[in-house]
Amino acid sequence: MSGSDSSRGRAALDRAAARMLNASVLQRLAIATASTALALVVGLVVVAAAGYDPIDFIANVFEGAFGDDAAVSRTLKFTTIFILTGVAVAIAFRAGVFNIGVQGQFVVGGFATVMSILWLAPFLPENAVGGVGLIVLGTLAGIVAGGAYAALPGVLKAYGGANEIITTIMLNFIAVGVVGWLVEGPLRGEGNRAPNTERIPEYVEFPSIVYDSPDFSVVGLAVALAVVVIVAVVVARTRFGYDMVTSGHQESAATYSGVDAKRTIVTTMAFSGMVAGVAGAVFAIMIQGYYSDPSGVGTYGFDAIAVSLLAANNPVGVVPAGLLFGGLDSAGAHIGLNSDVPVQLIDGIVGLVVLFVSAPELFRMAAARTGLGGDDR
Amino acid sequence: MSLVENARGTRVRVGIAAALLVLAAVLAVQLDVPVADIVTVGFIERALQAAAPIALAAIGGLYAEKSGVFNIGLEGFMIFGAANTAAFVWFFGGESVTQGDLWLAILASVAVSLVYTVIFAVLLIRYKADQIVAGLAVWFLGLGFGPFTAVLLWGNRNSPRLASMNDVTVPALAEIPILGRLLFDASPLVLLTAVLAVAAWVFLYHTRYGYWLQAAGENPEALDTAGISVTRVRYAAVLFSGAMAGLGGAVLLAHAGSFTGTGDTMVNGRGWIGIVAYLFGNYNPLGAAAAALLFGGLDMLQIQFQTAGIQLPNRLVNLFPYVAVVVVLTIWGSTRMPSAVGESYESEE
Repeated sequence: MSGSDSSRGRAALDRAAARMLNASVLQRLAIATASTALALVVGLVVVAAAGYDPIDFIANVFEGAFGDDAAVSRTLKFTTIFILTGVAVAIAFRAGVFNIGVQGQFVVGGFATVMSILWLAPFLPENAVGGVGLIVLGTLAGIVAGGAYAALPGVLKAYGGANEIITTIMLNFIAVGVVGWLVEGPLRGEGNRAPNTERIPEYVEFPSIVYDSPDFSVVGLAVALAVVVIVAVVVARTRFGYDMVTSGHQESAATYSGVDAKRTIVTTMAFSGMVAGVAGAVFAIMIQGYYSDPSGVGTYGFDAIAVSLLAANNPVGVVPAGLLFGGLDSAGAHIGLNSDVPVQLIDGIVGLVVLFVSAPELFRMAAARTGLGGDDR
Repeated sequence: MSLVENARGTRVRVGIAAALLVLAAVLAVQLDVPVADIVTVGFIERALQAAAPIALAAIGGLYAEKSGVFNIGLEGFMIFGAANTAAFVWFFGGESVTQGDLWLAILASVAVSLVYTVIFAVLLIRYKADQIVAGLAVWFLGLGFGPFTAVLLWGNRNSPRLASMNDVTVPALAEIPILGRLLFDASPLVLLTAVLAVAAWVFLYHTRYGYWLQAAGENPEALDTAGISVTRVRYAAVLFSGAMAGLGGAVLLAHAGSFTGTGDTMVNGRGWIGIVAYLFGNYNPLGAAAAALLFGGLDMLQIQFQTAGIQLPNRLVNLFPYVAVVVVLTIWGSTRMPSAVGESYESEE
């Protein structure tokens, strides 16, 4: 897929991008809403077909997502991670690079955070100041590790022509396998019965403000929102952001204007992976406090693809989309405890959202046929 | 692609593959690896069984891509194929499953896969869905609804032990050393895969329909001018790819004997590896099957390492196929795609 072939593939992407960009913001919002609604309806039909009460199910979804303080803080906890991983995906997709490897970068970043905090802890004072220092250093380690793990498929794509969709998926498996092996054996905490690393020290934590929850802090959410602002500014207002999008969608134009398209692919991937690394660090410090077998840490990096697509790969749009998915996951946690409906249904609904988002034409045609906003006919 | 170019590409591939084999042999001798303990008849048998699901998905995927549609949903269709086969085995056989039930379950599961693929194909072709995003969606749907089915039926993401496919033994012939065990005392599904691979190759390169398929991907205007509907050819190819991936999942289940829905499910990347297998095989069904055998062999190395007494953590040995995929894609990244892949085609009529 090099040379003329990649330009053909690129041409297909260009058209897809043009179609996406042509859709007005309002239209995109309508498509996102319709996709979500339709996915939920199909989900309810499946619930009913499987012999459960759909009304009961939807009541459980709302109760689990926003029912009480505990539910809200749980929703915001998941939202924090979805915003970060969603932005990571959005950076790459916007630039026409399909980084499906956010899950792996999230795992590698989070693991690097935990290990660096464990290794550095003896050298810093055992108090709040030392805690802040460790959080900063650990997050930096996560950013570097996530960025490097994403840069690798970027290099393979730019200079070896390796399709990044497949290499990043393979690197997800490799990240889970290698980190899983490390926490099982060489880096397992002393005397741990479960395959986990040691816990990071107690004083390395985000302060509990507003919500008194052991695994959610408003500071974590603030970090996520700050990352959104930074990424939005970089993408929309800097030379680097401009080069990223043009080389993604109009490689030849970018090359004529002196942009090194290959290098831009690598930097785009690295940037995307760095944000995934932040997500991994926040997950490790705020939620888990140690690292366990990554095959069980949750599929934040995969669901992030749905989050980003729902937001039309716009970093700011990722915030409401992240909230929606945070609510869905939180509802899943509630349903798992309080209802017989298999939680896996939530994953299925995520798939349906992605499926419907992939075919905006479906809704345009439906809209045109029913006479609702059929402006492109 | 011109024939000359194609032949050169094939020669380069075979050359590099041979070089890798020689390198592996030299390393094995240098490091004193007990090769005879690793490459056993049992190993080849297991490698063939592991390769069959990948090969089936790969052949389906290459047909779709040859026709101009990138079916990136192979992995998802495989998950549905495996989960539905398990469910049908449970329905048909209950506690005592016969081989007949298993065959029936495979058939029923392929039929269901075909229905799913109709929806997928309509979204891709009629509604011009983004092929990459829609394909990913199929994967997510599989990851959600596959285990969902298992939890509904068995209250657990994994099924209990169901039934696995017995080997078919031809008396007398099975006594032939090596070949007897591989061909005449083998899983019928492996033999079925081999037959399908050859049939797919003949169909693609030696029939009119095969040329239509290739034209739909390379030069849809010409096919349209010749009075053949590009859309119809593409529908047929995508339906075939979904059914083949579903069959791949069914074969995976029939060899394993039970459904695993934890993590990334029992399919665990085999659909993605299938895509790489056909790229590596240069879009040729036989090449794709050979590449699948390579990945199947890597997948089964773990058992050989154990019996040969090589101490390597399982977790890491299990990663060999994934690492191989990354290496293969990097070296063979310049595979030539059909020129109209990913473009929707609108007839002028």
